[in-house]
Amino acid sequence: MSRAVQRPGGAAPKRTEITDDGGEFHSYFDSPELRNVHKTDKTSDICPVCKSSRYLNPQMKFLVNPECYHKMCESCVDRIFSSGPAPCPIAGCRRTLRKAKFRAQTFEDVFVEREVDIRRRVAKVFNRCEEDFETLLDYNDYLNDVEDITYNLINGIDVEASEKKLQGYAEANRQLIDDNENRARKAATTYAARQAQVKEQSRLRREANMREEERERQERLEGQRNIINQLASRDGDAEQIVREGQIGLKRRHKTAIPDRRKPSASATKAEDGKLLYRGLKKKTEVEPERPFSPYAGLRIANEYSVVQDHYDAPWLSFAWQDERYLAGGFKIGDFYSRVFSEAFAGLSVFVDEEVAGRNLTGSFSATEGAVAAADQDVNMSDDIF
Amino acid sequence: MRFFIDQLEVLFPYPRIYPEQYAYMCDLKKTLDSSGHCVLEMPSGTGKTVSLLSLIIAYQQHYPEARKLIYCSRTMSEIEKALAELKALMKYRTEQLGYEEEFRAVGLSSRKNLCLHPSVKREKSGSVVDARCRSLTAGFVKEKKERGEDVDLCIYHENLDLLEPSNLIPTGVWTIDGLLRYGEDKKQCPYFTARRMMQFCNVIIYSYHYLLDPKIAERVSKEFSKDCIVVFDEAHNIDNVCIESLSIDITEDSLRKATRGANNLDRKITEMKSTDAAKLQNEYAKLVEGLRDAGEQRDEGAFMANPALPDDLLKEAVPGNIRRAEHFVSFLKRFIEYLKTRMKVHHVISETPPSFLQHLKELTFIEKKPLRFCAERLTSLVRTLELTNIEDYKPLQEVATFATLVATYDTGFVLILEPYESETAQVPNPILHFTCLDAAIAIKPVFDRFSSVIITSGTISPLEMYPRMLGFTAVVQESYTMTLARKSFLPMIVTRGSDQGTISSGFQIRNDPSVVRNYGNLLTEFCKLTPDGLVVFFPSYLYMESIISMWQGMAILDTVWKHKLILVETPDSQETALALETFRAACSNGRGAVLLCVARGKVSEGIDFDHHYGRTVLCIGVPFQYTESRILKARLQFMRENYNIRESDFLSFDAMRHAAQCLGRVLRGKDDYGIMVLADRRFQKKRAQLPKWINQALPEAETNLSVDQATAVAKRFLRDMSVPFDGRFQEGVSTWSKADLLRHKAKVEEDELRVLRAEREDVDMGGGDGGGDDGFDEVDEDALAEMDL
Repeated sequence: MSRAVQRPGGAAPKRTEITDDGGEFHSYFDSPELRNVHKTDKTSDICPVCKSSRYLNPQMKFLVNPECYHKMCESCVDRIFSSGPAPCPIAGCRRTLRKAKFRAQTFEDVFVEREVDIRRRVAKVFNRCEEDFETLLDYNDYLNDVEDITYNLINGIDVEASEKKLQGYAEANRQLIDDNENRARKAATTYAARQAQVKEQSRLRREANMREEERERQERLEGQRNIINQLASRDGDAEQIVREGQIGLKRRHKTAIPDRRKPSASATKAEDGKLLYRGLKKKTEVEPERPFSPYAGLRIANEYSVVQDHYDAPWLSFAWQDERYLAGGFKIGDFYSRVFSEAFAGLSVFVDEEVAGRNLTGSFSATEGAVAAADQDVNMSDDIF
Repeated sequence: MRFFIDQLEVLFPYPRIYPEQYAYMCDLKKTLDSSGHCVLEMPSGTGKTVSLLSLIIAYQQHYPEARKLIYCSRTMSEIEKALAELKALMKYRTEQLGYEEEFRAVGLSSRKNLCLHPSVKREKSGSVVDARCRSLTAGFVKEKKERGEDVDLCIYHENLDLLEPSNLIPTGVWTIDGLLRYGEDKKQCPYFTARRMMQFCNVIIYSYHYLLDPKIAERVSKEFSKDCIVVFDEAHNIDNVCIESLSIDITEDSLRKATRGANNLDRKITEMKSTDAAKLQNEYAKLVEGLRDAGEQRDEGAFMANPALPDDLLKEAVPGNIRRAEHFVSFLKRFIEYLKTRMKVHHVISETPPSFLQHLKELTFIEKKPLRFCAERLTSLVRTLELTNIEDYKPLQEVATFATLVATYDTGFVLILEPYESETAQVPNPILHFTCLDAAIAIKPVFDRFSSVIITSGTISPLEMYPRMLGFTAVVQESYTMTLARKSFLPMIVTRGSDQGTISSGFQIRNDPSVVRNYGNLLTEFCKLTPDGLVVFFPSYLYMESIISMWQGMAILDTVWKHKLILVETPDSQETALALETFRAACSNGRGAVLLCVARGKVSEGIDFDHHYGRTVLCIGVPFQYTESRILKARLQFMRENYNIRESDFLSFDAMRHAAQCLGRVLRGKDDYGIMVLADRRFQKKRAQLPKWINQALPEAETNLSVDQATAVAKRFLRDMSVPFDGRFQEGVSTWSKADLLRHKAKVEEDELRVLRAEREDVDMGGGDGGGDDGFDEVDEDALAEMDL
C-alpha cells in the first residue's frame, strides 16, 4: 500500500502526545486515497471495520480517535481496545490507539475535526485579546501571525518551525497566558450570569403580563355580570343602566393600562442590587435647574443701600422727563442704583485681613512682597473710587 | 383642472376631482411643508396614485429646491401603472402650461425585465440573468479586454460609456417599455441607463426592495439627498417586506453547495498563486492598510453588498486572521462545517444570536469580529480572483450574508432550527431560519435619512399600528372615507347559517359538517344571485382543500356548477395565471365564474376584479396567520416585550388587514359596485379594525346576519344597482368640478373664520373655561359608550 511507502521504516511509533506528530501526520492526511475513503464513508453509514450498517443497528454510534481520525463503531472500539492499547484496525494505519481517547465526531468532515483540535491547542497558547494592543493594526498583525502558525500546523507546512514557535511563545509567556485564561474564564462566567439574568427578567415580565391580562379579563367578565345583575335588580331605564355599566368598565380598563407597564419596570429595578452589568456608564443625576444668573452666582444687588424712587438731584431733572433721553432706554432708577453700587463697591473688601491671611500661609520673598504691595495698591485704588 | 392649494398651483389631469382626493392632497402638502412622515389611508379605486403624483410634481416644480420623488411600489404591474399615470400627467402639464418642463422620470426594474442582450435576455431565472450580466459588464472584464484577452463584453453596456454620463436619455417620462424601445434604438443598455440616470431624475419609480433591502439599497439608493420625498404605495405589508429583507433561510442543500463554492475558491486561489501571486499580495497589502477600494464604491457589478445596515457597518480594517485568502477560505469552510453539525439536531432549537456565537466560539474558535467581516472579505476576494461565473457562488454568498448579520445584530433577531418540515414528517429536512423580528430595523435608515416618508395604501387600518411597529412618528395620520352619490358597495357580516348555527373558521368547528354545509349554502346562494364574477377567499390552502372536498361530498359543488364555472387558485403561479385568464373570459362571455382563492395568496394581493370581474367577494373565515409557526411566535413575543403590542392584537390586526385587502379587490372605482361578505362570527367583534371607508358603509343591522337574511339584503342591493344611474347625480357630491371645488374652499375658509371669530369672542367673554371642560368630558363618554366592548 502506498501508506507503507510514505512512512519510511513502517514502524508504528508509540505516540501519546499529539504535539509531536507533525509532518508525517500531514502527509498521511494528504494522501488522496484516504480522502476518498472518507468521502465514501460519509455517504454510507457502514462501519469500516465490522461492516455492520445503521440499517441493521439504528443505535449505532461512530467514534474517532484524534490519533488518526479513523472512524469505527462503538462495538468495534469495545471489542478491540478493551484489553489495552492496540493498533488501529484500518488497513495501512498502524498507530496505536487507546480506548480512553475515542470520542464522538463533532464535525462531518474529519479534516475540520482535526483542524479544530489543533486550533484548540493554539488558542490555549495565543490568547491575547484586542485590549492588550495599542493599535488595531498591531492586533491584526498578531492575529495574522497566529493564523499563519495555525494554518501551517494544519496543512503541514514547516511544522517543525511552527511547533517551535508555538512552544517558544508558550514558554516565554506562561504567566501571561495563565492570566489571560483566567480573565477569559471570568468573562465567560459573567456573561453566562448576565444571560441568565436577562432570561429570568424576560420570564418575569412575561408572567406579569399574563397575570395582568388574566386580571383584565376577569374584570371585564365581572363588569358584564354586574350590568346583568343591575338590569335584573334595579328599576329604571335599561339602556341607561347598560350605558353606565359600560362607561364604568371602560374607565376601569383605562386606569388599568398604565399599571400594566409597572411590573416590568419594577422587575428590572428589584434586580438592580445584584446586577452584573459591566461597562455601563454611570448615570449622573441631572441637578434641578437653578434660576438663571448671568454672572455665575455673583450677586450684584446692592447690599449696603436701598434705592429710593426719587432723590433730589436737580442736575438730572431735565433728563428723566425728556423724551429724547427716555426713548433711548434711559431710566433714572438704573442710574441711581449704579451710583450707589459704585459708591459702596469696596465695602466688603477688607484688605488688611487678606494680606494677613497671605502672610500666614508662609514666608515669602521680597519680590512677592512687592507684588502683594502692588496688589494692595490696586485694591486701594479700587476702594478709593 | 387647475386649482390652488394654499399658494401652490396643482394641475390635475382630469376635469373632475373627488372630494377625498382633494383632502388627500391637502394633507400631503401639509406633510411636505413640515418635512415629516405620514400615514394615509385612502379607499382603493379613488385615484390615489394620480393625486399623489400631481401634488408632488406641482410641489417639485413650484419650489426651487425641487425635492426628488422616490416612489416605491410593490409589484411590477403597479410600477407600470404609476409610470403611465405620470406620463399622462406630464402630458397634461405640458398642454396646460404651454411649454415642456425640464423633467425626467425613470422606472427601474430588475435586469431580467430590462435586458437587451440577445442571449442573456432569453434566460428564465432572474438570478441567472444577473450573474450573466455581471460576467459581461464587470469592471475587471473590461480591463481584461483592454489587456487584449479574449473575453465577451455586452455591447449595449459598452455603448453607454461613449455617452455623456449625465445625459444618457432625453427628458421625459420613461416607462419600462419606453426604456427598452429607446435602448434598442440607440443600442444602449436600458438597465444601466436607468441606474446611472437616477441621480439626474426628478422622479424615480421602483420596487420597495431598492430602498429597504440593505443588500440592494447600498448599491442603488445610496446617493440620494436628504430632502427626497419617499412614497411607499400599497404599503399595508411593508413590515413584512422589511422583515424579509433581513431574514435568511439556510438548508442542507445550500450548505452543500456552499462547501462546493468554498472548495472552488480554494482551487482558484492555488491557481492564482502559481500564475499571478502579485494580485493576491496586492489585495493583502490593501487589507493590511485597511483601505477600501475606491473603485468598489462605484462598481455596479460587485459580487454582493454588505447586508448590514449602513449605520452598523464597521469602518475598520479586516481582522488579521482572515486577511490572507487561504485563511479566509479555511475560515469559511469551518463555519459551514459548523452549520452542518448544527443541522443534524433532531429537535427544534430557538436561540438568540449571542448564544449562537458563544457556541460557535466554543466549538470552532471563530470569533465574532471576523464573522462580521465575512461578506466584505468575500466580495474583495471574488473581485481579486476575477470570478465570472458568479451564480455558482450564490449559496456561499448566502452563508457569508448570514455570518455578517448574525455577528452584527444582537437583538431583534432569532435563529430557529426546524429539523422537520411539518409536525408529522419523519424524514428530516432541516432548515435554519435566521429571522428578523423587528420591522423597524430595516426601515430605520429610510426614516433617518429622508425627511418626508409617505406611507399610503387602500387598507392600512388601524393607522396607529404602523408608526408603532416601524418606529417613527407621523405628522399626519388620516383615513379618508369614500364619498358616494349612492351606496355602491354593500359590506355585510354573516354570522349564522340559515339553520341559525354559527359559522366560523375557528379551529374547533371548522370541519364540522354543519358549518361546512352552511358555508356551502352561502356560496350557492350568492352564486345564484350574483351576476358575472364571484371571488371567494379562504384563510389557507389547507382549509380550502379540505372544505372543497367536503363540499364535493355534500353535492354543493354540483349546485354551484349549475350557475358558475368553478376555478381554483393553486400555489403554482402559472396555473393560477391560467385560472385567472379563464375566469376573465367566463365573466366576459357566459354566466360568469367563481374563483376560489386564498387570502394571503397572489390573487388577494395584486389582482383587481373591477366591474363585472367581481361583483361579490366572499371572505370565508378570518384569515389568521398560522399561529403555530415558531417564527411568528418569536415575533409576537418580541413585539410584546419591546413595543407593548399584544399577541392577540397583532394577530387580529394582521388578519383584518388581509381581509380588508381581499374586500378591496372587488371595488376599483366610483362607478363600480359590489357586495362584500365577511362570513365568520368573529368578524362581528373585529369590525372596528376594518378601514374607515368600509366600516362607515356597514350599518349595525348588517353585522349579524344569517345566510338567508344576507341573501335578501344582497338581492335588494342588486336591484337598486340595476337601475340606470346617471353620472350627473354624482356631480357636486362625489365628484367635483372646479366650481364645486372653489365653493368647498370658500366654505372651509368661512368655517375657519367662524371658528376663529368664536374663539375670539370666547376670549373676550373671559368665561367658558370650566364649561368647555365639562362638555369635553361628556363627548368623551359618549364616544366611549359607542365603542363596542
